[in-house]
Amino acid sequence: MKLQNYTLRYLAVTLLLVIPIWAGIFYVLILDEVYDNIDDDLKNSKIIIVRHAFADRKLLNSPEFGINKFTIKPLPKGNYHTKDEFFSTKEFMEYDNDDEPIRILKSVFKDEEGNNYELIIKASIVEEDELLQDLFLALIGLYIMLVISILVVNHLLLKKIWKAFHVVLDNLKEIKLGTGSKLKAIDSPIDEFNTLAKEVEKMLNRNESIYSSQKQFIENASHELQTPLAISINKLELFAENSTLPEEQMIEIGKITDTLNRLTRLNKSLLMLSKIENQQFSEEQEVDFNKLILTLTEDYTDLAEFKKVKIIITENDSLFFKMNKGLAIALISNLLKNALIHNHQEGFVNFVINKNEIIISNSGNNAPLNSAVIFNRFYRHTTTNESTGLGLSIVKSIINNYSITVEYIFTGDHQFKINFPKK
Amino acid sequence: MKILIIEDEAGLREVVQQSLEKEKYIVETAHDYISGFDKLGSYDYDCILIDIMLPNGSGLDLLQEIKKQKKQSAVIIISAKDAVDDKVKGLDLGADDYLSKPFHLSELHARIKSAMRRNNHNGDNLIIWKNITLSPEQRTVLIENNTLILNRKEFDLLYYFIINPNRLINKTAIAEYVWGDHTDQADNLDFVYSQIKNLRKKLKESNAEIDIQAVYGIGYKMS
Repeated sequence: MKLQNYTLRYLAVTLLLVIPIWAGIFYVLILDEVYDNIDDDLKNSKIIIVRHAFADRKLLNSPEFGINKFTIKPLPKGNYHTKDEFFSTKEFMEYDNDDEPIRILKSVFKDEEGNNYELIIKASIVEEDELLQDLFLALIGLYIMLVISILVVNHLLLKKIWKAFHVVLDNLKEIKLGTGSKLKAIDSPIDEFNTLAKEVEKMLNRNESIYSSQKQFIENASHELQTPLAISINKLELFAENSTLPEEQMIEIGKITDTLNRLTRLNKSLLMLSKIENQQFSEEQEVDFNKLILTLTEDYTDLAEFKKVKIIITENDSLFFKMNKGLAIALISNLLKNALIHNHQEGFVNFVINKNEIIISNSGNNAPLNSAVIFNRFYRHTTTNESTGLGLSIVKSIINNYSITVEYIFTGDHQFKINFPKK
Repeated sequence: MKILIIEDEAGLREVVQQSLEKEKYIVETAHDYISGFDKLGSYDYDCILIDIMLPNGSGLDLLQEIKKQKKQSAVIIISAKDAVDDKVKGLDLGADDYLSKPFHLSELHARIKSAMRRNNHNGDNLIIWKNITLSPEQRTVLIENNTLILNRKEFDLLYYFIINPNRLINKTAIAEYVWGDHTDQADNLDFVYSQIKNLRKKLKESNAEIDIQAVYGIGYKMS
């Protein structure tokens, strides 16, 4: 769920709770104020009426509510306490054809002669049910408007505010160590985002430098190993040549030499890998893959014949791709070599060249390879001593430098499909 | 034949020197840029092996110096850096060959011989071993004036043996020579074995005075 929707959800629920509570309080307060106001008004009316009654004695006899909305009734002699009495009641109103709430002031006053009169003044007041209803409707309106405005504000403002954040997010998605990926700059008035962007950049730079020094380390280590390897191999060669050792010991020397040779191959493959990853094969040209495959298979014809493996090339289209020639050769020859080696007598290697893909399939073991790990470094399907386990990782690191993909499919034959980007 | 080795690693310098002296070369050595520079100025050599990374200087600068002095020596660069740049630069500067460490001694001999042969424009370029005459340029083999037909790989093999007579050649060295960099599988060694078998057969049939012996576990020796 997106951040803005997430906050909106909580805001909507909170508002749903807060608004009725607020409405309740508001209702009570307003009603209280309204009654207070009306009562004050009634008290005021009483003063005016009493004053008029003193001036015009006719008023002292107004037993019915007329347009004046008050009555004055003489009371029998006696002692009445003259405190004002307020209460609410209902009265039929013609206009509404319904009982409507009214407020009544009941009071007793004396004229100059000491006669008691009862004064009742009424005033219509708010209809509580209608007020409630109106308030309810207004509140629903308010609620909807609030949610909509939050939505709009969220959408417009937050989108603008969070834009910087999304840039940082996109940056993070695009980061690929070792490719020198550059971060897009953000332009935000918000400190947190600026800090975030700055920290991400710092972190990336730190990781880049660790990554490159690690790669550099592998490359340097491989380089440094070359000379001691050369000395060991050459000393052994000279020793074997100069000495007249019994056969068993010569065989042992042979085994040591073989091991050193294997170490050399391993070292060379590692060096190749780190060079590819360090992008030291930067020179690019249009490579004619049809021609390349023909040349490479030609190179391997003798070995294929020796293994009695048939190489068949099907050219459905011509395939050109701009890349480093050496890497193109390494890519195809590693796969071809694999196909030849993990094959059996009387087997086959098929090349199919299509517009944007090359499919190399070969006969071999009947069990599929585990496609999740075959491109890993030092993964060996078989435990042959001779294999460095780096051939397919070299393939992988080559394609990582370009927008090429390789997938392994098992259809009874082992298939490697190289997908080139569509032009 | 006089060879100068300019290499800072004592171990490598010694073993190369011993191996070359077995071939009856006169070998001199230098261990850094300055001593290399001195030797270059004082003597003429038929072939110079230069390591690129030297104490107090670069082998490439020495190479430039050799070319400036218009020396006729064949120059082979030996480097632990298998960098394409260095290789191209070295060859551009006039080196005859580039060999990356580690190498087999038989490969070094082959390179030295072909570099000197190419460098020696006025001599004939045929290689002769007993009754076998081999022309590296024409890629032809004559045995007592009879042409022996060999396929590409068989020719390469024979050339490698004849250029390394009486030396114990590691089977991996042969595979690498015949196969270039593609060698990393046991299959190739089996393949080399079968190619050598075929070559032996052909040589025997045409009465070539050559003996290619297998040295079990290590490789082959031609005599």
